[in-house]
Amino acid sequence: MRLLTISPLAAKQWRRFRSIKRGYWSAVLLGACIVLSLGAELLVNSRALVVSYQGEWFFPTYGGFVPGRAFGLDYDHETNYRELKAVLATRGEGDWVLLPLVAYDALENDLREDAYPPYPPSLASGHYLGTDSTGRDVLARLVYGFRTAMGFAFTLLLCSYVIGIAIGCAMGFWGGAFDLLFQRLIEIWNLVPFLFVIMIVASIVVPDFWTLMLLMVAFGWTQMTWYMRTSTYKEKAREYVLAARALGASSARMIGAHILPNAISVIVTFIPFSIASGVTALTALDYLGFGLPPPTPSWGEMLAQGTNHLESPWIVTSVVAAMVAVLLMVAYVGEAIREAFDPKKFTYYE
Amino acid sequence: MKRTHQYRRFLCAGVAALAALLIAGCGGELGEDAPPDVPEQTPPTAGVELPPIVVQEGDGLPDSLPADLVWETNNEDPTFASPEAKRGGTFRTYMESFPLTLRTVGPDSNGAFAGFLRYNRLGLVTYHPNTRRPIPVLATHWAFGADGRSIYYKLNPKARWSDGVPVTADDFVFSLQFHRSKQIVAPWYNNYYTERIRDVKRYDDHTIGIQGAEPKPVAEMHYQYAFGPQPRHFHVLSDDWVRDYNWKIEPNTGPYQIGKVEKGKYIELHRKADWWANDLTYFRHRFNPDKVRVRVIRDMNIAFTHFVKGELDAFGLVVPTFWHEKATGEPFDAGYIAKYWFHNDLPVPSAGMFLNESDPILADPQVRYGLAHAMNFDRVINTVLRRDYMRLPTFQLGFGDYDNRAIQPRPFDLEKADEYFQAAGFAERGADGIRVNEAGVRLSLRVTYGYPHHTPRLVVLQEEAKKAGVELELQQLDASNSFKHLQEKKHQIGWMTWNSQGLSPRYWEHFHSVNANKTQTNNITNHADPAMDELIMAYRGSADKDERVALARRLEQMVHDAGAVIPTFQVPYTRAGAWRWVKLPAWLGTRTSNSLFNSQALSAGSFSSGGLFWIDEEEKARVLQAKDDGETFEPITVVNRDFAQAGASG
Repeated sequence: MRLLTISPLAAKQWRRFRSIKRGYWSAVLLGACIVLSLGAELLVNSRALVVSYQGEWFFPTYGGFVPGRAFGLDYDHETNYRELKAVLATRGEGDWVLLPLVAYDALENDLREDAYPPYPPSLASGHYLGTDSTGRDVLARLVYGFRTAMGFAFTLLLCSYVIGIAIGCAMGFWGGAFDLLFQRLIEIWNLVPFLFVIMIVASIVVPDFWTLMLLMVAFGWTQMTWYMRTSTYKEKAREYVLAARALGASSARMIGAHILPNAISVIVTFIPFSIASGVTALTALDYLGFGLPPPTPSWGEMLAQGTNHLESPWIVTSVVAAMVAVLLMVAYVGEAIREAFDPKKFTYYE
Repeated sequence: MKRTHQYRRFLCAGVAALAALLIAGCGGELGEDAPPDVPEQTPPTAGVELPPIVVQEGDGLPDSLPADLVWETNNEDPTFASPEAKRGGTFRTYMESFPLTLRTVGPDSNGAFAGFLRYNRLGLVTYHPNTRRPIPVLATHWAFGADGRSIYYKLNPKARWSDGVPVTADDFVFSLQFHRSKQIVAPWYNNYYTERIRDVKRYDDHTIGIQGAEPKPVAEMHYQYAFGPQPRHFHVLSDDWVRDYNWKIEPNTGPYQIGKVEKGKYIELHRKADWWANDLTYFRHRFNPDKVRVRVIRDMNIAFTHFVKGELDAFGLVVPTFWHEKATGEPFDAGYIAKYWFHNDLPVPSAGMFLNESDPILADPQVRYGLAHAMNFDRVINTVLRRDYMRLPTFQLGFGDYDNRAIQPRPFDLEKADEYFQAAGFAERGADGIRVNEAGVRLSLRVTYGYPHHTPRLVVLQEEAKKAGVELELQQLDASNSFKHLQEKKHQIGWMTWNSQGLSPRYWEHFHSVNANKTQTNNITNHADPAMDELIMAYRGSADKDERVALARRLEQMVHDAGAVIPTFQVPYTRAGAWRWVKLPAWLGTRTSNSLFNSQALSAGSFSSGGLFWIDEEEKARVLQAKDDGETFEPITVVNRDFAQAGASG
């Protein structure tokens, strides 16, 4: 027996999605970026991938820190692997260091005594997109910032959809007083000026990833409820739900096994746009200074720096280009999904 | 004292900014076109009885003026304004938020605009900005009482309020009653005018006496105890005073008065044509623009673009990125905007990392010393601060003889840091390179700060501190909340700057044990040391300058030895840019000028260095024409080192 059965409808939708080239390739590219960013430590990092030192092998990427003294350097703090590479090369004892593609991490200040940051992009220094105003590598911050933003957007999506779908379904399924109560509650809740709440909270405590998440979920779950409520109302009245009820199915089974799968298309088409709004929301908050605390790499913080340092255009160009690219890809994916799930394609009246 | 009031201003500025943000757009028409010299109509209703001045046991001035007083004055010091100055024109500047009130005391009165109001409330005397000696303002002469804490003043009979009413001794008596009254809702003033000022007496219309709480060196008496008059004919104290007087324009004695208010947008100050003090020795050729227009521009970067477009006349360029990066290019190269770098010699703001000694980790002095050696300030100075700043060696500095110049700040030294941390039990390093003690406590400390543009400095320190095995966690709050957080002693390390002013350093508020472990005090290190308390009280009580100098130097040494403060940076200069038509004297400023384009007077308690520049209207027309025609001038960058300290860059 196959582990995963794909319904003919789903297979059809998948084929349709694949046939929309722009959306499909955007999805592939975006997926690849996300996967690569999960292993960003192997690509963009100040720690070496491999060090072969006096016959011993070190893999510092994911392990604990290795003090400089371990490699015969004269300090106890974390080894500077770029320096180590140069040192070992001059020693010429057959020891070597393998550095990642970009040999800087997102927090490290690469400052020089002869010039003031921000430094322009340069192949020689290894800062392919230059540095920001404190000498941190722009590319490294872009990559880690992307991971943070995507992680945030996906977690936000998951949390607010779980709550939104559960409450929306319940409203549609039970209806009556419960529905009425929640409708009014949500209407009132929606009137709370979300940005002000975040600003007030941020001025009292330093918001970390999870506080921001909590706040965003607290105000973000309502959107989904309306759609779920409507489609649950619609599906509930269908004959197959009545049949299930007649057979004595529990409420949970009716919702879980019958209503939800049929309402899923509504949810799926919304996902890409929720991701995009999650990314932009976090970026906007960081830009305004109410987001993640420094020195967390974030696109909003880079955007703020970039606009304050327009005379160093590489900062603002990099982050704007990255944002436009990611949001475009997400939008193309969203468009393709919507197209693929559009039931009109399967009517006979085309 | 005066300084505390500065902190409150700083605190309230932030609150005001937020509130202003919320009410932005609710602009009204109040004060529109109100002529500057017409007194406000005050309804003579609901006034409360003024409290009589109660004098405590042991205090009190003599009933009649002592006969043996030696009256002093000072019109001999060199003047410092340029005789070439021309009167006229409008000086356009900005503030970051619109004030919540035009009162100078009471709730919300410490916003950014309060500076403009306060500078136009003259005191009895002020200090000469070069010689630091008292010079006459509202008083023509002064004399010191035999008890060491009384001063007598002869008022200038020409002194007038802006509505033409003469300033008399009664206004000073009223001032004390006013500031002691509960109706103004200003506990700080209530306390100051009760605890510090013990008595005021009118001897005739133009002679008063003031008695302070304790004897002070003669040189500091005015600074400690002289206070300004309050227009008795204008205020009717009632329980609604705060509300009733919120937008009323109070008569003042300075060169400018509020002329036009466009709520939420701008406030215009108008020069008094027949200002009573026009011909005072030290006020001639000063306060030259006819109008000063203060616009609301909510962001410094945006304000700068207005400046470059020619919509503001001058702009402060102390921040390195502004001076080096932003203030370059067309209008600067073409000589339309001049750049000035002026080294001054002033009390240095006490910028530092304030370590909370009540914190379990920071209670150990070894950790505090180690931490000081783990902070790489030189790297911050040489990179992100572009060698523009200098390391501050001691907590308080810039008070002349009082400075303890023998103290060297603890340098960045990983070996010493390691030694101290070992001694404190933080010997091992965890997997992430951060030290841990035997109990498993990580050497991770939170730094609380209030200004986003300090983040680059902190991230460099943070990265460098990792080398010593210290983790700094950065907590950026908005300015007012950060200050509140520190005052409530909730911090581990407070990154902040105390304004410094006056003639001698202060220790009581920052280090005396009565202020430790209590909220809303300025002892943010919670330092409590009986030996130090004793010296602080001796310092406070002493009237002998030599003794005070010796004590101050010992106290500064004790501050250093305690390691509770890691002094950070000092900026021993001011920098500004100004359009070519804004002219300065050849000497630019004075020894104590903290700003070259301050349009206002400074009143008693500080140095009178404002208002030296003028606007040359003909030059303005010429420059604007040249700009339209694409003509250029020689670029102007002036660096003045007349008052520079040794080692200052630039």
